[in-house]
Amino acid sequence: MSENTGTQRIPMAKAINLGLRRSMERDDKVLLMGEDIGRLGGVFRVTDGLQKDFGTTRVVDTPLAESGIIGTAIGLALAGYRPVCEIQFDGFIFPAYDQITTQLAKLHYRSRGRVELPVVIRVPYGGGIGAVEHHSESPEALFAHTAGLRLVSPANPADAFTMIQQAIASPDPVLFLEPKARYWDKADVDVTAADQVLDLGGGNGLHRARVVRPGTDLTIAAYGPTVATAMAAATVAEQEGHSVEVIDLRSISPIDFDTIADSVRRTHRLVVAHEAPVFFGAGAEIAARITEQCFYSLEAPVLRVGGFHAPYPVANIEEDYLPNLDRVLHAVDAVLAH
Amino acid sequence: MTLTDTPPASRAQAGRRLSTSKAMVEAIAQEMERDESVFYLGEDVAAYGGIFSSTTGLLEQFGPKRIIDTPISETGFIGLAVGAATEGMRPIAELMFADFMGVCLDQIYNHMAKIHYFSGGRVKVPMVLTTAVGGGYSDGGQHSQTLWGTFAHLPGMKVVVPSNPADAKGLMTSAIRDDSPVVYMFHKGIMGLPWMAKNRRSIDLVPEGEHVVPIGKAAIARAGSDVTVVTLSLSVHHALDVADTLAGEGIDVEVLDLRSLVPLDREAILASVAKTRRLVVVDEDYLSFGLSGEVVASVVESDPSLLTAVRRVALPDVPIPYARSLEYAVLPRHDRIEGAIRGVLA
Repeated sequence: MSENTGTQRIPMAKAINLGLRRSMERDDKVLLMGEDIGRLGGVFRVTDGLQKDFGTTRVVDTPLAESGIIGTAIGLALAGYRPVCEIQFDGFIFPAYDQITTQLAKLHYRSRGRVELPVVIRVPYGGGIGAVEHHSESPEALFAHTAGLRLVSPANPADAFTMIQQAIASPDPVLFLEPKARYWDKADVDVTAADQVLDLGGGNGLHRARVVRPGTDLTIAAYGPTVATAMAAATVAEQEGHSVEVIDLRSISPIDFDTIADSVRRTHRLVVAHEAPVFFGAGAEIAARITEQCFYSLEAPVLRVGGFHAPYPVANIEEDYLPNLDRVLHAVDAVLAH
Repeated sequence: MTLTDTPPASRAQAGRRLSTSKAMVEAIAQEMERDESVFYLGEDVAAYGGIFSSTTGLLEQFGPKRIIDTPISETGFIGLAVGAATEGMRPIAELMFADFMGVCLDQIYNHMAKIHYFSGGRVKVPMVLTTAVGGGYSDGGQHSQTLWGTFAHLPGMKVVVPSNPADAKGLMTSAIRDDSPVVYMFHKGIMGLPWMAKNRRSIDLVPEGEHVVPIGKAAIARAGSDVTVVTLSLSVHHALDVADTLAGEGIDVEVLDLRSLVPLDREAILASVAKTRRLVVVDEDYLSFGLSGEVVASVVESDPSLLTAVRRVALPDVPIPYARSLEYAVLPRHDRIEGAIRGVLA
């Protein structure tokens, strides 16, 4: 395992792979299940090599039955295991929706806290890879709207490595949303085995947002795939004389509103960017909360940049649907001009 | 044709009064007489008449080929309805509780809502998905949700939520005639059912004959000048009760009944808020990532200087409790609505 220590420059997919490996080494109750995750190593190779090293009883190739995968995981969790399920693509999560929202999310409450459901559901989500229909969805608002679930989304390999281990250690169900368009973005990650990653204190907590670029004129809040877009927008804005702060939310439920509010009290302006349709989306909730919490600090409309209220389009026009650099900059300009 | 953009007439007015459930059934029956491609299917909708009386008497009138009891298999019969709609029928499929959407969300979202778009507009899916929503009668966290925020977020379907008998009829007529899939969400507490909590607003005047309420138009249920309450469904009744109480103190509350969530009548929201400058959103769905956030965001996005104060009254982010006392504590009922109105006026 010597290749798995020290700081390595690796893509996000590999970082998640190593995080899964760490969790499986740490706790033999951790097991993986999903479609094509074993022999094939996952369609994005996130579980590559894990079945070979941990065996077919801990890395389980399941039938194409998402409802069955999650239902089985619920039973395993009740029996003391920590299952990590993969839903192969975002658009395939809907057949499992009842198991996730009616059963998994509610059992802890319904049992008056007697049972814990330490289930992680990994979901490659978002667009930008030229996929066909049902393969580019961003359904996070549905699950964030469901009481009883935690939702997180890493935006870089280092967070992905840490957050997958924290999610697996969580006593509650966690949807772990992996921005598939960022799977192959590389960065330095300290992959030395260490239990400290499970320490949720300080700025490293699973649900803590992070200011990834400080600024004074305007705040952009983003998560997952749009953090890189927001950073690019901040760079362009700087060339035009505007200082833009970028917050990587990291967690969608709960959202670290304190970090956003603290930023908006300094910059007085907010833009939210995500790939999901903005209508009834996460950006609406952020705009509403910040309006409630920072009513007298806001000096301009809170603008939302995201998907339109139409199904995710075919690949040859997806660039027009995604909140790309131009659309984020347009919102930044509009808010600054107010 | 009667176009109703005004609130239901007061109780003192003469005319025919129906419960919300009877008004809904009347619209379905009239449309079934008018168009033989309309049929209704779902669990316990035929012999039983719908567990919330959404189809009472329709089996006797139209027979078992057009009023169809299905097995307990939501994916199966909603898929059947999608297929029938793409072949030119106008099915109305009833999902007994909105809470059960999870077992058939793939059919609802990946098929019903997307086929028109994926076919480049070539294939229409003119179906209605009716579903019962809401709590207040101790049915637990899996039979008491409204979940309209979830349906509204998913592109490709219209979402209507009537609050009174006349709108229940008029919106059902529009939903059946619409060429897009329409989700029609009726609150059990507004249906006028004898076994639910008595609700004087669940029986009211309903126009006879053809009655159409356009989808996408909110209604001012009560005009006022001091504060705008944006709400829908059973919460309209609670808001009107609170408005009546506060009127005695000289507080003039405007109650805006959204009636449709998709499309959302933003102009009506903005017009009312521009007048009162104070906004309370009352929503019997979960607080976070739902309707109340969208309404506030829509106002702030347009012009944050419109507002001097805003509050949201919604379900806290917990499963809905079974115990009556706890359930009433989480529901957006009179005391919390009144508190929010007083809060934005303070």
